Amino acid sequence: MEVAFYLSGLVAVLATLGVVVSVNPVHALLYLIVSLIGVAMVFFALGAPFAGALEIIVYAGAIMVLFVFVVMMLNLGEAVVDQERAWLKPGIWRGPAVLAALLLVILAVTLWRGDIGMVIAGETLTAKAVGMTLFGPWLLVVELGAMLLLAALVTASHVGRLSTPRQTPGRDASTKEGA
Amino acid sequence: MTLTLTHLVALLPLILVCVTAVVVMLGIAWRRHHSGTAFVSVVGLNLALLSLLIVWQVAPLETPLLAVDGLAMFAAVLILVSSLACATLAHAYLEHYGGPREEFYLLLLCAAAGGLVLAASQHLATLFFGLELLSMPLYGMLAYTFHERRSLEAGIKYLVLSAAGTAFLLFGMALLYAQTGRLDLAGLSASLVEGPGPWGLAGAGLMLVGLGFKLSIVPFHLWTPDVYEGGPGPAATFLASASKVAVFVVLLRLVLSAPAFEDAWLHDLLAALALLTMLVGNLLALTQANLKRLLGYSSIAHFGYLLVALVVSDGLAAETGAVYLVTYLITTLGAFGVVTLLSSPYGGRDAAGLHHFRGLFWRRPYLTAVLTVTMLSLAGIPFTAGFIGKFYIIALGVEAERWWLVGGIVVGSAIGLYYYLRVMVTLYLVEPGMQSRDAPHNWGIRAGGVMVLGLALLVVLLGIYPAPMIEWVRAMGTLNG
Repeated sequence: MEVAFYLSGLVAVLATLGVVVSVNPVHALLYLIVSLIGVAMVFFALGAPFAGALEIIVYAGAIMVLFVFVVMMLNLGEAVVDQERAWLKPGIWRGPAVLAALLLVILAVTLWRGDIGMVIAGETLTAKAVGMTLFGPWLLVVELGAMLLLAALVTASHVGRLSTPRQTPGRDASTKEGA
Repeated sequence: MTLTLTHLVALLPLILVCVTAVVVMLGIAWRRHHSGTAFVSVVGLNLALLSLLIVWQVAPLETPLLAVDGLAMFAAVLILVSSLACATLAHAYLEHYGGPREEFYLLLLCAAAGGLVLAASQHLATLFFGLELLSMPLYGMLAYTFHERRSLEAGIKYLVLSAAGTAFLLFGMALLYAQTGRLDLAGLSASLVEGPGPWGLAGAGLMLVGLGFKLSIVPFHLWTPDVYEGGPGPAATFLASASKVAVFVVLLRLVLSAPAFEDAWLHDLLAALALLTMLVGNLLALTQANLKRLLGYSSIAHFGYLLVALVVSDGLAAETGAVYLVTYLITTLGAFGVVTLLSSPYGGRDAAGLHHFRGLFWRRPYLTAVLTVTMLSLAGIPFTAGFIGKFYIIALGVEAERWWLVGGIVVGSAIGLYYYLRVMVTLYLVEPGMQSRDAPHNWGIRAGGVMVLGLALLVVLLGIYPAPMIEWVRAMGTLNG
């Protein structure tokens, strides 16, 4: 299991490097998905299946797919088909594919050896334990998380607003003066 | 350990601020009303301030993740007062803003809650959450007038650099956790007793970098002037006052409690950073032609002075830091308040260029008097609050025989005197035919104007008779033990 931990960690690091150096946003996002799955594998190897599953469901599953869709939708137009063809060159998907295949091999080998309880150290951290901590002593942090999301949402909705503010008559002169 | 009723009482200020934020949000959803929203926010903040009297009865107390002790209550008072000041300034500033105005108060309340959490945190999880809750609304507040290019630029700049700072902080926490397996400060200091080891030291250093970004200590200060200049007046005021106070208090708590920060090497690093910060901040302020930028650099320099309290970190260090924070806060609120009032109501870019202030005395004598007093206080002239703070810092440095730092403070103050005086001279220059931005005619009887006048009075009062403030700071300090 230690091998699985180190290999997954290596994959995550390499994939993140791929995110940084990719010039094309879609490639960067593909690398990012591999990186997140690698981190999830690390969590599994450490005996925290709940965190690993959340990592896959929330990050790789929901957020990143949303990202990929948005980026692809932004590219609509005449040149898209050519671009898509250009994107499908093997040199481009080879990197993510190799890293993802490595993760698959680790997963397959671990499953094949069949010992589910074989983790690095400590007991398995289940969803129940996480929930007990979060809604017991850490309740405050959960509530603060809610406030944080509220602030982020208000910020995003305010800055993302399209309408231009109306200029108040009478302040126009001073606006020009002040600008 | 779960939450009990006593814990809830101890957390009353935080709960009240959060409840006010939720009430404001629901109010906005129901009906937009600028003055009503501002009124509810101010009432909520005042209630939180009053509830500190109740908390005083139960302190010191340790809730599972937050410590309600003297330091936390001291910081809570400063944060709530500066949030109140920002709310009154925002009411004047946003009065004629064309877009939606009410969200600003919601963000302000969220940021104040973040500051309260940060200052009371005794666990790395609450430290992180508090810092994020403090920074996240600030992105929105700085980019609030986002049709102004500079405001949006300020917001995005702060977002990117603050995220980088947070990444450093998280990495530092991860290293400390890897070394000790603990996240609470008490556990951390217990595990690090026999020496921090390389990972603990690296973790402490990285956390210092992360918090240094927020405090704009010198190698990490590059964002400060642009963000101060670009952000709308009330947001810049909050950034310079409440945000910095909260981050400094948490740094003080870390340095005082965690032995990883007691390492000699780390102390030398802190001393070098302090010296660099006060010199570079003052030198860069020399050539500024924009008052908000100048105040930005001046706040960098002031936090260089404050770092001396961290470097010494024994004896009177906590008291010195607290006294200096109070004087800095009052003075900064006054100076930014005048700049914001001159730019109110919102009409494009803030009137912060020095040329806007030319001959201000002949148009607005009282406002000029306020700005003069705050500039004198920032320069540390006797009979102003700033002198008391600077006196404390120099006394601390001399007592600890940190001669390099004392020299830095003296040189920095001498340089500072030049550019503060330059601002003051500008205020009294006569230049006929100047048509500049001006405060509204009735500024003196509005909440923001009254607040600014009161602050100027307080600056002078504390400069002449600082005993009550020192008593108060000591009383807070005794709660710590």
